[in-house]
Formats: sequence, structure tokens, C-alpha cells
Amino acid sequence: MSRTATYHTTVAWKGEHWGHLVMGNGPEMDFSAPPDAHGHADVFTPEDAYVAAANTCVMMMFIWATERFKLKLLSYECRTEGTKLIELDRTEIFTRLHFRPVIRVAANGDTAATVEARVRRALQSAQKYSLVANSVKSEIVVDPEIVIEP
Amino acid sequence: MPEYLEATVDKFIFRVASDRLYSPDGVWAFWVESQGNGQVRIGLTDYLQQLNGDVAFVHVKPVGTEVAVGDEVAELETIKANVSLCSPVSGRVAEVNPDLDLSPEVVNQEPYGKGWVAVLETTNWEADRAKLLDPQAYLSAMRSQAEEELKKQ
Repeated sequence: MSRTATYHTTVAWKGEHWGHLVMGNGPEMDFSAPPDAHGHADVFTPEDAYVAAANTCVMMMFIWATERFKLKLLSYECRTEGTKLIELDRTEIFTRLHFRPVIRVAANGDTAATVEARVRRALQSAQKYSLVANSVKSEIVVDPEIVIEP
Repeated sequence: MPEYLEATVDKFIFRVASDRLYSPDGVWAFWVESQGNGQVRIGLTDYLQQLNGDVAFVHVKPVGTEVAVGDEVAELETIKANVSLCSPVSGRVAEVNPDLDLSPEVVNQEPYGKGWVAVLETTNWEADRAKLLDPQAYLSAMRSQAEEELKKQ
């Protein structure tokens, strides 16, 4: 197993505050900055990309973890907020990523307590092994709502 | 509490308990009982548990199962891999760690303590122990294995 892999994206300026993004895995789209940073509404932004990268990566890792932990996942939905801080020198940083996953899992014959403990361990593993979550320096907070269906 | 030897490889620190013997593939054997043929407790080394990641399930052969040196005595399912744990001694499974069923993460948290896997009643301890590594020898072998892993690109 190789220990390294590379991924790429390409951006090109389209004039004014617009750009075009081509992702290594295929999709492409226009992007801008958010409206509060001299950009446009209703388009992809770097801020969205950062939060989405973490949110999507943790979700995919959680899906993998549920398979390894033999959980019967019924649904997963997660709103994640990134908190931006404007420093005294006017540099900006995402200080925090706050995940609020709502997870429904079938008990599948086990007790609710046993299944919930396994879901929490799967979530911890998802965060630990998520490439993106493991790469960022923002604080990561996960507040799950776990529902065990009989 | 055992004392530990430590090896730092890349950014990782691996501990080796100084009070037991080791198979080269990362299973420790700790002499616990001298009645009858004797018993050894076995488990994973710190290196082996870190190498394979968070443990989800541990399946140990049932009590009474006879094993020879190198036979699979347990299978671990981790977040990253399925790991076959080979017995470092010949004998019979006398006890399985009851905590592994509900809290398999103890293997990661305390590999040399509460995360033990099984107790084996030995049948050929004197001959088997002669083939096991002392802590210093295992530390060197483990360091070489870790450095080989790092060379993979």
C-alpha cells in the first residue's frame, strides 16, 4: 500500500470576482467569495468548500466506520458550521468546526445502550481517521443526536 | 504497573513492557501461573495496536481450543483491517478477556493491561519461551518493522 496520494483542482479567473473550478474527480463549477467578502450569493465559495470538505469527509468516514462496526445505519444528516475569526492583524482563520450529526440506527437485536456506545465509537473513529478533519487546525466539536430504532 | 522501553519512529512513540516476552509479529506473552503446565496471558503490543487502528471487534477462539505456536488464536476487526493474532506459545485457551465483548477499545487504550486478549494454558513453555524475544530484542525488531513501513512510498 502506497503511503502517499495526491489530489488536484484547477481554478481560473473569469473576471471581476468570479472564478471557475475544475475538480480532479470530475465536477466543475463557477465560484466566488461570499457576499460579506465582496462576492456573490448562490454560488460555491472557498468558505463553503472548507466546511463542506470536512463535513463530507467525516460523513464518508462515518459510513465506512458503521460498516466496520457492523451498525445498521438508517439515516445520517449533519449540519456543520465553521466559525471564522478576524484577527487583530485582519488575517482570518476558521477557529472551529461544529458538527451536529443526526444519526438513526437500527438496534438489530442489541440493546440501545450497546448500539449507542458503538455509534459513538464509530463517530470518534470517523473524526480520527477523516483525512480532512485530521488535516485542519480548527477545533472540531461533534454534538451528535443518536436515535436507536427498535 | 510494568516499566516500559520506548521507541520513537517518525512522530510516533511505541512502548514495550519490560516484564514479558514477545513474538516477532507483535504478540506478548506474560507468565501468570505456575500451577500445572503454567499459564501465560497474551495480548497485542502497543506497536501492533497502533499499526492497525481502532479495534471494533475481537473474536477469540473459545475456551478449550488447542493452539500450536503460530496458529490463529484471535481475529481482530479494526477500522482499517482484519488482523489475525497468532499464538506465541502452544497450549489451550483457558480464559478470554470478558471486557473485549462490550469494550474492545481497551486493546487500544491499555494494550499491556486491561486490553489483554486471552490466557493460555501452556503445553511446551520452556521450548516456546526460548524462541520468544526479550523486550530489548523486540524493541529492535519492532523499530525495524516500523522503519520499513515508513520506507513504503
